[in-house]
Amino acid sequence: MNRYLSRPIISSLCVGAVLTLTAFQPAFAQEVNNPGLLVHAADDEPTSLDPAQVEPGEGGETVILQVYDRLLDIGPDSPELIPSLALEVPTVDNGLISADGLTYTFKLREGVVFHDGTALTADDVKYSWDRAMEMDLPEGNAGILSDYIAATAVVDDFTFQATLNEASASFLNSVVIAMVASIVSQDAVKANGGVEASVPNTFMSGNAVGTGPYKFSVWNRNENLQLEVFDDYWGENASLDVRIEIGGDPDVRVLGLRAGEFDTIETDPSFIADLEGVDGVTIYQEGLLLEPLHIGMNLNIPEGALPPEDTIPVDFFHDARVRQAFNHAFDYDAFLNGPLAGYGDFNPHYIPIGIFGYDAASPTYNKQDKAKAEELFRAAGYWDDGFTISVITEEGNLFALMCLVMKDSLEGLNPKFRVNVLAVAESVFDDAHAQDPLEYAMWAKNADPAADPNAYLQAYVHPDGDWGQVHGFANGYADPEAIGAMIDAAAVELDVVKRAEMYAEISKVLYDEPMWLIGAQEGVVAAHRDWVQGFTMQPLWPRPGFKFALFDK
Amino acid sequence: MADISQTRLPKSPFRGPTTSVWQVRVLRMRELAANILSNPTTVLGLAIIGMLLGMAIFAPFIAEPNIPDAYQMPRDWGAVRKPPGTPGHILGTTNEGGDVFYGVVWGSRTSLQLSLIVVSATVIIGTIVGSIAGFLGGWVDEVLMRIVDVFLSIPELIFALAIAAMLGPSFSNIIIALSMVIWVKYARIMRAQIIQVKQNEYIDAARVIGDSKINIYFRDILPNSFTPVMVQATLDMGNVVLIGATLSFIGLSEAGIAEWGVLVSEGQAGIASGRWWASTFPGLMIFLWALAFNLVGDGLRDALDPRTEGR
Amino acid sequence: MQLRDYIIRRLIVLPILIIGVSIVVFSLTRISGSPVGIYLSHEMSPAEVQQIEARYGLDKPLPVQYYAWAKGVLQGDLGWSGVAAAPVTEVFPNKLAATMELAFSAGFVAVSLGIWLGTFAGARRNRWPDHITRIVAVSGASLPLFWLGILLLIIFWANLGWAPIGRSDATIWASIAHPTGLYTVDALLAGNLKAFGDAVWHLALPALTLGYGATAIIARMMRSSLVEELQQDYVDAARAKGLPERLVLRRHARRNALIPTVTVIGLTFGFLLQGTITAEIIFRWPGLGRWMADSVLRGDQATIMTYVLFTSVLFLMVNLVVDVIYAHLDRRVVLGG
Repeated sequence: MNRYLSRPIISSLCVGAVLTLTAFQPAFAQEVNNPGLLVHAADDEPTSLDPAQVEPGEGGETVILQVYDRLLDIGPDSPELIPSLALEVPTVDNGLISADGLTYTFKLREGVVFHDGTALTADDVKYSWDRAMEMDLPEGNAGILSDYIAATAVVDDFTFQATLNEASASFLNSVVIAMVASIVSQDAVKANGGVEASVPNTFMSGNAVGTGPYKFSVWNRNENLQLEVFDDYWGENASLDVRIEIGGDPDVRVLGLRAGEFDTIETDPSFIADLEGVDGVTIYQEGLLLEPLHIGMNLNIPEGALPPEDTIPVDFFHDARVRQAFNHAFDYDAFLNGPLAGYGDFNPHYIPIGIFGYDAASPTYNKQDKAKAEELFRAAGYWDDGFTISVITEEGNLFALMCLVMKDSLEGLNPKFRVNVLAVAESVFDDAHAQDPLEYAMWAKNADPAADPNAYLQAYVHPDGDWGQVHGFANGYADPEAIGAMIDAAAVELDVVKRAEMYAEISKVLYDEPMWLIGAQEGVVAAHRDWVQGFTMQPLWPRPGFKFALFDK
Repeated sequence: MADISQTRLPKSPFRGPTTSVWQVRVLRMRELAANILSNPTTVLGLAIIGMLLGMAIFAPFIAEPNIPDAYQMPRDWGAVRKPPGTPGHILGTTNEGGDVFYGVVWGSRTSLQLSLIVVSATVIIGTIVGSIAGFLGGWVDEVLMRIVDVFLSIPELIFALAIAAMLGPSFSNIIIALSMVIWVKYARIMRAQIIQVKQNEYIDAARVIGDSKINIYFRDILPNSFTPVMVQATLDMGNVVLIGATLSFIGLSEAGIAEWGVLVSEGQAGIASGRWWASTFPGLMIFLWALAFNLVGDGLRDALDPRTEGR
Repeated sequence: MQLRDYIIRRLIVLPILIIGVSIVVFSLTRISGSPVGIYLSHEMSPAEVQQIEARYGLDKPLPVQYYAWAKGVLQGDLGWSGVAAAPVTEVFPNKLAATMELAFSAGFVAVSLGIWLGTFAGARRNRWPDHITRIVAVSGASLPLFWLGILLLIIFWANLGWAPIGRSDATIWASIAHPTGLYTVDALLAGNLKAFGDAVWHLALPALTLGYGATAIIARMMRSSLVEELQQDYVDAARAKGLPERLVLRRHARRNALIPTVTVIGLTFGFLLQGTITAEIIFRWPGLGRWMADSVLRGDQATIMTYVLFTSVLFLMVNLVVDVIYAHLDRRVVLGG
């Protein structure tokens, strides 16, 4: 054989041999893959495992949910509170909430052990909450604790008390079950850096010492994070170890699920179409996420701050007709059927479907009404001259798609309307989003999930709330005081029926005075292999809403 | 660079003896053209360029421009992820219902803009800087060349990546980033050419005659220095689109615009589920574009470099 | 100029260039964009943003920041990577090993295949093998790496299921120790054939994709320098002497043609270095390139600065070595006649 052909032929034969031999590995699974281990493909990586540092809504909360417990919890099937490290849910009736509503008493479970072997006492509870408040890390959620709590106290080894600044109907739902209120082992923290104000604790960022059904095992950055079953758990033991695979692109997760490499995956509705009808894969779909996708409208634009292409005046959104027109112009069906693949629904301003206070009869923006939109834009005086406006959003996810739908809706309505979608990196968006006042007229994100309607209204509707102040809602409401008063009254109303009526009334008012464009409420969709048993999702748990301890194979 | 004394003069179209420099230049052009056209791969490259240019120029007639912005992909939210052959979407649609055919056709326009602007800008800037360095020499030369060396120490793509990252994701920022990275190549070429030509005899002759420095520069040095620049510019027309597409692929361009790199990037997510069309067709276009300019650039280099004659 | 003087001159200029690069790269990341963005979470108040800025020293004047960073680099502190949620120095070695494994495999493919292909074509100039090789060579330089990778993935991963993505099967990876961080080497050291097979299986497609363009460059250069060599007088003389064609090729022409090819290998290094970015994205390879791409998208300044500085230093050193080798060889050839 020609010398010059022999060498490459031999080498290609070798490569070919390796490929074919290894190709006979089963690419698709028959029996249960990885028995005893649950492999979950996550979409983002935790930045920190420290409850005092974790940012609400990001990957670290998923892990914290598995390895730490809190005093109370939300069960898998309903939004009702259930006891966890505390033996009973405090109510006025059982005396664990004081008559003035300021003091909450928690009786702790005895015999609970931390992952490091030490026993749980009320000292640990006080230490955990105090440390979060003292560290007060800007990226964490300690603000919730400090806003509500005036003092924490240890009554005896197994009784803990918290005294609030003022009575509230939402302390338990908003604070006690939040991940920042997780109970950590004070011995572990004291031995590893202790507590220092404004300084993150490196040990706690990369490790976890809690009381949960899972023990932290190892974290291979950008690759995976592993959890082991904790045998001395106080409750029902978990059955499977867990490996959370990180660094996935959505399509890789989908393929991995189909191939049986992953048991459960996080995904968004657009990929469900690729999983329907696939052998061995079950699509779980129940209810809606409690994080409506929305686009904010800024009524507090500083002069000269907008991008140069924008032609709108700074009081553009002060006019309720303009805000209504945007809400009418948006093509809801396109958004639902396109990016959301049909999984979702539309909620009224601003109470998500599935939350107490939601009224199905409330007027809702859920259909594009071009005629109405045109009428309103004409009345407001913008139809003939048109306008150019920019909206800033994170790139590459549903928020960007929602902005594109809004862009197409408005530009399709009147070619003189131009919407520039500034899809930027998450870090750039976060930076811009943190400014006060905001230098953009519109921005896209989703609401933070909460168990109580007051949380949504305070954050997104109240003129004195966080967004109320940054966006200047007071400039747009016909009567900001009245709206504020309605919300405040409903916050403290303890009669459940009356409270529901009040929220229905608020929704009606907000229909005419929307401060957001709500794209949709995303459907809860997850996919898992058939062999995973006990699968369930709870949207009120941190994304993806799984407690791995409940699963089996 | 060909030296006059070595030129084989073909039959002259001029009556009488060939006297002026311009006549010689015309003859050389004709010979060059003949050389180029005799190479089949170069002709293939020219043909592909012709097709791509035609696509870019006649885009509004081939694919109806999107209202209001023709460079935005037209999105049909009711027809997402359709395969090729779907009525109305001959090459299929993307995840957002964008028409792949539209992207392919109008992408040629964006690529043309990108490559023309970047190559023109870098040739001009590089020529100016290189000329200053080569002409003036001395410490100006040293300083400028050190700066050029620092820029050349950073690999092209990585440098452009860092600049585009800093400027923010947008098409115009990619143009700026690429220009900032590539001009140094031309500076170096021009400087080397000028230094070489400066040493040439006929420049001394011109100086003896009394031509001013500027005259010498524009009449003799610049035209004679241009051949390597021409070759490099042709190659860069292809290279720029390639690097630009890579930057878009990584995610540094705007979403939703009709640009080949963006389309490949957005289409990549579907391949695990069998949706190959959204990334394959735009990718093919990038390949054709780069291939065409590489073939022509190679052909030019072969034709212009006497060392490679007869290859 | 004496070779020794040439080397010394280049070595003196090297640190100056490195400092120049560090200034350029530092300016890029600090002057615009949002250097603090990567460390923020959404819903932070401006006061909280300031706190974070102070924590990372982003509120100090730029020259102070540069000095602090430069000092850190020399002491081994490369900053905190927001993307990796860990110090850069902690994450860097593993990712470096992953990228090096990929790049070396691709380089090995490119050099061996490229030299062979170039010789094959050069010896059969202007006949069919030559034309085909030339087309392959030109396409290699024009083929967008990401497109080739995606095409191969579509065929071999999505459709045939023959090739995997990522670097390893997690269980097999966990079954051996990793003293070097290079999967293939570690597997051999552990005597674990299954792990070695797993490593090669995962390496195959990415290395081939990454190496394709480099193969083309080397083949092209090898071909044209071989053609030039074969036109030399000594080749005719050797043939006239009756030396078999094969020996003429191997003993003389090819060896001499290898000289300019050596310089191209330096060029190839730059190509491979940059190619790892896209190759790692596409094949989900956990190396430096992918880390850099994520950092660029998310504004992780610490990683960007480290990566650009590192690759530039590497690039400079490789070019220096190649230039020196070329100068050395060139001189020898001239002297040898």
